[in-house]
Amino acid sequence: MNLISRRTLVLTLLTLSMIAASVGPIAAHHSTVPFDSTKQTTLTGIVKEFDWTNPHTWIWINVPNDKGGMDLWGVEGMSPNYLGRRGWTKNTIKPGEKITIVGRPMKDGSKAAMFMSATLANGKVMTQSGQPTD
Amino acid sequence: MENARRKILGFVAILAAAAVMHTVAFAQKAPAPPTAADWAALAKLPDLTGVWEAALGGGGGGARGAGAAPAAGRGVAPAAARGATPAGPQLTPEYAAKRDALRAQAREDNETANCLPPGMPGIMNQPYPMEFLLTPGKMTIVIEAYTQVRHIYTDGRKLPEDPDEKFFGTSIGHWEGDTLVVETVGFSPLTQIAAGIPHSDSMKILERFRLTDPDTMTIETTITDPKALTAPYTSSRTLKRHRNWTIAEYICEENNHNFVDPSGKAGIKLDKP
Repeated sequence: MNLISRRTLVLTLLTLSMIAASVGPIAAHHSTVPFDSTKQTTLTGIVKEFDWTNPHTWIWINVPNDKGGMDLWGVEGMSPNYLGRRGWTKNTIKPGEKITIVGRPMKDGSKAAMFMSATLANGKVMTQSGQPTD
Repeated sequence: MENARRKILGFVAILAAAAVMHTVAFAQKAPAPPTAADWAALAKLPDLTGVWEAALGGGGGGARGAGAAPAAGRGVAPAAARGATPAGPQLTPEYAAKRDALRAQAREDNETANCLPPGMPGIMNQPYPMEFLLTPGKMTIVIEAYTQVRHIYTDGRKLPEDPDEKFFGTSIGHWEGDTLVVETVGFSPLTQIAAGIPHSDSMKILERFRLTDPDTMTIETTITDPKALTAPYTSSRTLKRHRNWTIAEYICEENNHNFVDPSGKAGIKLDKP
């Protein structure tokens, strides 16, 4: 391996690790292997349900597909315990509301993602990062 | 008639004798109830009570180690990740081979994805708070992650010589100055020394709990295992007290879509709603 390609590799790995780090902590209880940490997907649709449950919150969102129909996507987030200490409540994501979610898609292409951020109907952007409040 | 009465009297006598013997046996085992002095003595000890969380990047920082890396949910993060001494567990050839065999399976996740709690020592390194309760003769740790509880007896009892194998082991503690020293033995084979490193039936865990300032606690954990480790494995972490927090419930089976199958493949069940 010559010097240039090694440097390229290092930079690539560094970039990938920074992308991975930007997701922030996701979970105590499972690995992130099913998700593609090198990709982002953006989902805009109508919230069907928000599961404020352990071990993870799940946002279920109906997203228009290119066949004129709707696909139901599931977006996995941190637990209510974790998010509840960072300003989230069970009412942060409301069924019927139009939102846009950015997440890491599944490697296998199934309709799920790991939550990164959400833009609510009122324009507020929700993330999962930050210090817990006392 | 006389015969029957004699039989009944005999039976009553046996019952009475059994009751006395039971009382004697019970009296030998039961600790004395705590006195006002016992409660007052607690107030003189360093105050470990309350809700604590590892101060690892915003309270959830522990998740970087526990969630980002496969199989880390069960292990205690190595000291290196905590900015402490860099050495990881030093394995005997036999256990290095076991670790390598596990690695060769390239499992994408561990059983915590299926909601099996990590047990000791990993359960003490979760990105969730823990509440410490001190009562006469006992410290109880209520662990939010997986809604778990550790029972640490400080009443002078001895460790069992042949303990059952438990996720949390069996724990006793005693005070050495301002430090609560906790010894734990007897662990389920489903727990690990650290991520991907199995232990033997000889594993012992020594934990030292100490306040370093009024709302900061360090826990230094030393694992010995003569069959698996060539040297004690020590790690430490710092916790912050959150006086306004309460412990929330965490029922992992409530709505778990994650899984790892027997071959070690991790996945998501999209079966709802």
